[in-house]
Amino acid sequence: MLGKKSIVDTDSLSLEDIKLILSNADSFLEISRRDVKKVPTLRGKTVINLFFEPSTRTKTSFEIAAKRLSADIINFSSSASSLKKGESIIDTLKTILSMKVDLIIIRHSDSGTVKMIDRFVDVPVINAGDGKYQHPTQALLDLYTIKKRFGRFEGLKVAIVGDFLDSRVARSDMDLFEKMGMEVTIVSPTMLLPEDYSKMKVKHRIDEVIEDTDILYMLRMQFERQDRKFYPSVMEYNRFLTLNMERLARMKSGSIVMHPGPVNRGIEITDEVMDVGGKLGEKIAIEEQVTYGVAIRMAILYLILG
Amino acid sequence: MNENEKKNILVKSGRIIDPENGKEFVSDIYIKEGIVAGIKENIKAGKDDIVKIDAKGCIVSPGFVDMHVHLRDPGFEDEETIETGALAAVKGGITTVACMPNTKPVIDSESLIKYILEKSQNAACRILPVAAMTRDLKGRDITEMGILSEAGAVGFSDDGKGVADSRVMYEIMRYSTQFGLPLILHEEDRFMSEGGLMHEGHYSSMLGLEGISGLSEDVMIARDIILARKSGARIHITHLSTRGGVEMIKKAKEEGLNITCDVTSHHLFFNDSYLTSFNTNFKVKPPIRSEEDRLALIGGVKEGVIDAIISDHAPHLDTEKNTTFKLASFGTIGLETLFAAAFSKLCGEEKMSIPRFINLITVSPARILGIDAGKIEMGKTANITVIDTEAEEEIKRESFISKSKNSAFIGQKLKGKIVCTISKGKLVYRSV
Repeated sequence: MLGKKSIVDTDSLSLEDIKLILSNADSFLEISRRDVKKVPTLRGKTVINLFFEPSTRTKTSFEIAAKRLSADIINFSSSASSLKKGESIIDTLKTILSMKVDLIIIRHSDSGTVKMIDRFVDVPVINAGDGKYQHPTQALLDLYTIKKRFGRFEGLKVAIVGDFLDSRVARSDMDLFEKMGMEVTIVSPTMLLPEDYSKMKVKHRIDEVIEDTDILYMLRMQFERQDRKFYPSVMEYNRFLTLNMERLARMKSGSIVMHPGPVNRGIEITDEVMDVGGKLGEKIAIEEQVTYGVAIRMAILYLILG
Repeated sequence: MNENEKKNILVKSGRIIDPENGKEFVSDIYIKEGIVAGIKENIKAGKDDIVKIDAKGCIVSPGFVDMHVHLRDPGFEDEETIETGALAAVKGGITTVACMPNTKPVIDSESLIKYILEKSQNAACRILPVAAMTRDLKGRDITEMGILSEAGAVGFSDDGKGVADSRVMYEIMRYSTQFGLPLILHEEDRFMSEGGLMHEGHYSSMLGLEGISGLSEDVMIARDIILARKSGARIHITHLSTRGGVEMIKKAKEEGLNITCDVTSHHLFFNDSYLTSFNTNFKVKPPIRSEEDRLALIGGVKEGVIDAIISDHAPHLDTEKNTTFKLASFGTIGLETLFAAAFSKLCGEEKMSIPRFINLITVSPARILGIDAGKIEMGKTANITVIDTEAEEEIKRESFISKSKNSAFIGQKLKGKIVCTISKGKLVYRSV
């Protein structure tokens, strides 16, 4: 079982916890490949999918994971803006806890909210993404994808490309990847980096890393969501940071491309790369990430509630 | 007879601090009908109508002056009032408070200055209003600074906002030279700090919280030093938080400009690593900055660049703090912990001399505001605080008497306990 019952951030996951989750994912992956994709492991357990921010992938992934383990999962969605004050978040939680639930999965648009909630409730909590802070289950499924492709972590070179500043995925990934002995480089322009990045390995152009990278991890770039620091344009992005066919072809053999999804076609990755087949197409591991996501979340639910 | 109703007070055998001359000596103090009537050894007290305070082993200081407090009155009386704020002040040993004008309505007219002065007649301590520099704190139209100063304002400030328009700021500075009152400046470039939640640095990046760069403060301090050089205004930079600010003010002072500054007790005490708890009581403005900045502030105090220590007492309701970090309001209360927090750092850790430290919370801020306070003088109304400097206490939420409980210091162990406070000649607080 896990050292900690709640999964709030990557920092508090021990190396043993991580290894345990990854090794358990194998057997749950096997269940997902069966004709009858269901085991009775968590029968009688109630899990709440509490989403204060819109999500399709993560919510569905948790829902499928819980159902395959025979837990009862209930979706509770509410926009953070309709719950203006935290008092009402706490009231919402009190209401849910009164119904005697066994585990709460939370997503919220504000950084640190899950940590705040975890202090407040006495059932296990899983962070399904809070603001710009953390998304630990995404980082675990990313790690699992790498394990399946490479069979090892030590010494692998990872380049995380794009908006590091606003990305909870990048924060969680960088932490876990480094913990597992991988070499992480961030490829990002100055305005999408922390003010002081002197302690990080940073490059500004994708061309500087493309030939020497094992894992190219592309982050979502949301031009429409920029509110404080502005990147000039999509054209500028395409010039320096986008994965296009020419760049894909220069990647070394055995290397892979990952993305937390959904991809903004034409921004992080071009249409041609997204639809490429053959030998180059094998590099794209984005769909695997989604498949493995269910297995990882099954493993986590099992290790917390089983 | 209840001791609060007795007319005379005798403070026995305390170490009297004279912060003006940097001296201390052991003596008794006799207060007759509110007036300091004797400062000498072995005063014999009559039997009746006298409260005796045994101050042996304690220091006896002039009552403290906190030149930056939000009393929330009028307009936000659910958070604090003049009455409750004054009670919290005297519990913290503070007998003179300058209150900031960002109330509702804003203190930008003669009638509101009079409201504050009248309502504080019966308050436990002296309360002096700071008036707005611009009408409704909009940063555009200059207030009636002449009328306001004659009505009793002790300074002018657009605290909480700042004045973005350099032309307006320059005219305020020029006009202020007619009246001789200080301009208390909140230095923040709003374009740069917009949307920020904490100090921009290693921890904001780690926590995914939007940053407030130290540069947003530095650029405005630089601007105002330039404007003050030309206008000759007397400016006071409040709640200084950056190393860059300390350096610029040091140079401006060396140049001979009429500039002073203060720092809050929480900026001396905490650094941004405390934010990893996501505890919303650490969400303040200016933000709690890096350890490098904190050490520069401590250095600024020791070197004499920083002239005063303030609480920037900013009460907020639980509903405004008990929420996500993004939605929570900025501010921490501080009146009741001002002395102990600053004393723990400056005298406890940094070994600063007690008279020098007391100077920063008595005569020095009094001089900046141009008021008669911060001294123990024969024939004057007694404002005296007795402190047990050896006592150590863990700060608990329940111990606050302020109407709001949003203290960043909850859970901290602080050195120095206020034993009693004599304000306006009366014994208004005594610890249990």
